[in-house]
Parts: sequence; structure tokens; C-alpha cells
Amino acid sequence: MIDPAMEARHVLDSYRQEAGLSHGELWLRYFQLGGMSTGFELEAYLSGALVPSPYDRDVIAHALNERFAELGVHHPVSYLAQFGGEDVTSGPR
Amino acid sequence: MHSSSPTPQFSAATTFEGREATVSLRGGVDDVAALELATIINAAIDRKPASLVLDLAEVVFIGDAGPVVISNAESRLGGVGVALMIRSPSALVAHHLGRAEKTPLAQTSPGNEHLGPEQLGMVDVVSQRFGSRLSAQDLRRVAGLPTDPDVVDGALNLVVDLALASIGDADGVSVSLRRHGVLSTVAASDRTIMEMDADQYATGEGPCVDASVKGHWFHAESLDTETRWPAFTPRARALGIKAILSSPLRAFDQPVGALNIYSRTASSFEVKDQQAAATFADKASVILGDAQIDVSDGQMALRFQEALRNREVLSLAKGIIMERAGTDEKGAFKSLLRLSLHQGTTLRDRAEAIVRSVDRPERGPEAGAA
Repeated sequence: MIDPAMEARHVLDSYRQEAGLSHGELWLRYFQLGGMSTGFELEAYLSGALVPSPYDRDVIAHALNERFAELGVHHPVSYLAQFGGEDVTSGPR
Repeated sequence: MHSSSPTPQFSAATTFEGREATVSLRGGVDDVAALELATIINAAIDRKPASLVLDLAEVVFIGDAGPVVISNAESRLGGVGVALMIRSPSALVAHHLGRAEKTPLAQTSPGNEHLGPEQLGMVDVVSQRFGSRLSAQDLRRVAGLPTDPDVVDGALNLVVDLALASIGDADGVSVSLRRHGVLSTVAASDRTIMEMDADQYATGEGPCVDASVKGHWFHAESLDTETRWPAFTPRARALGIKAILSSPLRAFDQPVGALNIYSRTASSFEVKDQQAAATFADKASVILGDAQIDVSDGQMALRFQEALRNREVLSLAKGIIMERAGTDEKGAFKSLLRLSLHQGTTLRDRAEAIVRSVDRPERGPEAGAA
């Protein structure tokens, strides 16, 4: 399991840039997935200034992954959550 | 159910005895933990408790956001006539909360014994955290979006310089942007290029105008044989321009402008130049998206409403999973995530299917496995 505190800074932000999402657009996507942090906080998570909760970290990961799916890239951002031994990230597609 | 925050010092547990909920906290409630606390409290409230006790006995510190979260929970509970009690705060915490032991706000109202989807329609956490009526300007503020046009123009000028330096036969580069419904040049490498753009705005035609409106790229390989823009093309030729490549700029999936590259040599733009132009246009689009340029208040509000609707569907689905599987909100999110990843659907589509399954129970519980 990845420790969000140990996750290299800027990793999530590199994914954001790769996905071509502005901070605002990523925040909207994060927000509609149930995220509760403001855009400022989200930026702080991305820059490593704040450490997201494991839950927030996975909501951000999924917001990015849904964008990557739209671009035809299969879920490059890993999740902290364990899915009962079953590796769902490489499930049938 | 149990939940922990990013900092090991903070943890929270929710227990139910009948319809009496107790949320027990430990450690320090910093601003990040407070966000999690809000989620935990909301999850508890969503289960329609007759009373809710917030046990702060083992809390050593509460930051600025803690009281806000608690007061939000209080007003949310007050709205449905449910009591919030705060148990045994330490002197320090009590001081920070500005009160001692809390008495119930109101008597318990008879709740719904059966929780159907209507009852599970969660009170919107957004209005708790962000206020119930948000203007588009507020939305920008909560989204943390920069709005200073000078900062944006500076960044766009840099994009222009980089494009000019790196695209082989480029003799001039500009960025056109629609602001308040009017297309204008916000960054240009020289005066001729400014005129070039102005001629397109004046005639209402040209690759820059078309790219800005239609949202895909336009390439005038040679203006000597170009027929698409009869009013504009002679003006460009008069200024010695032979080839133009305009790539669209987008913000929030709307075309808002164009990156224009001009050359005095016909057929000068190769495929690699087109790719480079597209890359620069993407960079400029990200800058614009961050700055919310010309995403009108109306568009922003629409986009936000859509996000709210999607969030609402997700909330409903999480509520249904919580009820069926006896899990907490995070567990419900994880179940949804697992289902969505396994079936290759978006979280929103999966959530919608679950909400629909309540209307048509013969489809069977989709969300049972948590």
C-alpha cells in the first residue's frame, strides 16, 4: 500500500498535466465524485503541501483515471484501497 | 465502522446503539482531519440517528476548521430536529469551541423507519461546506482559480515565444481569445501579426476565427491558392503572409480562441509542426482553463450544476450501499469504485444503475458486496 505521505511530491500533478486537465477542471471532477476539499486544498495535495486522506487520494486518483479512460489510457494512477485481493485495475476491458 | 485520517494522531469511530449515534474522536483535529470529520459526521447523519453524540474526550487539539464542521453538523441536525451533544471536551478544546458541555438543541422528531431512496437523498454536504447559494464568482473562489488577466496574458506571451522559437518556418505567432464575446489578440510576436489577426476579426473570417469558433485546427497551406476566406486572404497576402496554421484553444471543453502561426513561406508547416502547434495550444488551453478565461458565468454555473447532479447520483448510490451492506460512506465509495473498475464503467454510470435498481428491485441488489 502506498503511503500518501510518502508519495513523491508532484506525482499526482504530473498525472494531471499529462491528462491535460486544469486545476479547476480536475477539482470539478473530484467534486462530482464526492470530494469535499476546495480547489485550494486540492492544489495543495497536488503540490505536496498538504497530504490528502487516503480516501481523498483515491477520489483524486479516480478523477484522473476517468479522464485517462476518456483519452484511451487504461487507469495509470494506482489506488490506495485494497480490493480484496482481486486486482480490479486489470479487470476485463 | 472505523475510519482514520492522514495523520496517525487523528482517528474517529462511529457506533450506533439503536438509533443513537456516537462519533468518537481521538487525537488532533487539524483542518485536513476536520474535512474527514465532516464526512464521518455526515455519514452518521445520513443514517437518520435520533440523536448524535460527538465524543471529544480524547481530542487533544482542534484547529480552525473543527468548530465550523461541528457547527455545520449542528445546523444540519437542527434542520431535522435531531439533537447534537458534545461529550466531555477538554478544557482546551472547550475553550476553542467557545462552549462547555452542549445540551440537546431540540427534541427528536419521529424519523422514517424505512429508508427508501427518497429518505436516503442525502442532505447536500455542499451546502454545509460551501454555503447554500453560490454565485459563479464564489465557485471560482472555492475552486481556487486564478482570475487575474495580466498573469494569464504573461503566460500566453511565453507560449507565443516558445512556439515562435521552436516551429521551424514560423515568422510570427499570436494567441486570439474570446473575452466577453469578442475575439481579440492577447499575445503576438510582432505588429504585423497583430494586424493579421485584426484583419480576420474585421472580415469575420480566416483560420484564426474558424479555429476559435469551430474548435478544430485550420491550415492554410498556401494563401496563393486559398479559397475559403475570400475577404481576408488578399489582406494577408498584402502583408507577405503565405501560410497559416491555427490550432484551437479550449477551456472547459469549449473553444475559446486559437494559437495562430504565420509563415512567409508557402507549404512551410510539416506534420511535426502541426503536432508541435497542437501541443502549444494544449498548454495554452490549460492556462486558460486554470484562469477560467471566457468561460462565462452561465457556462460555469451549468458545468457546476452538472457536477452537482452527478455528485447527487453518487451520494444516493452510496446511501443505498451503506444501507444494504451496513458499511460507512468510504466503504460504499470503495464498493462503487470496485464495481466500476471491474465492469469498465464510469463511477457515475455505476451509481445510476444502483439507484435505478431500487426502482426495479427484480434486478437484484447490485451493491450488496462491500
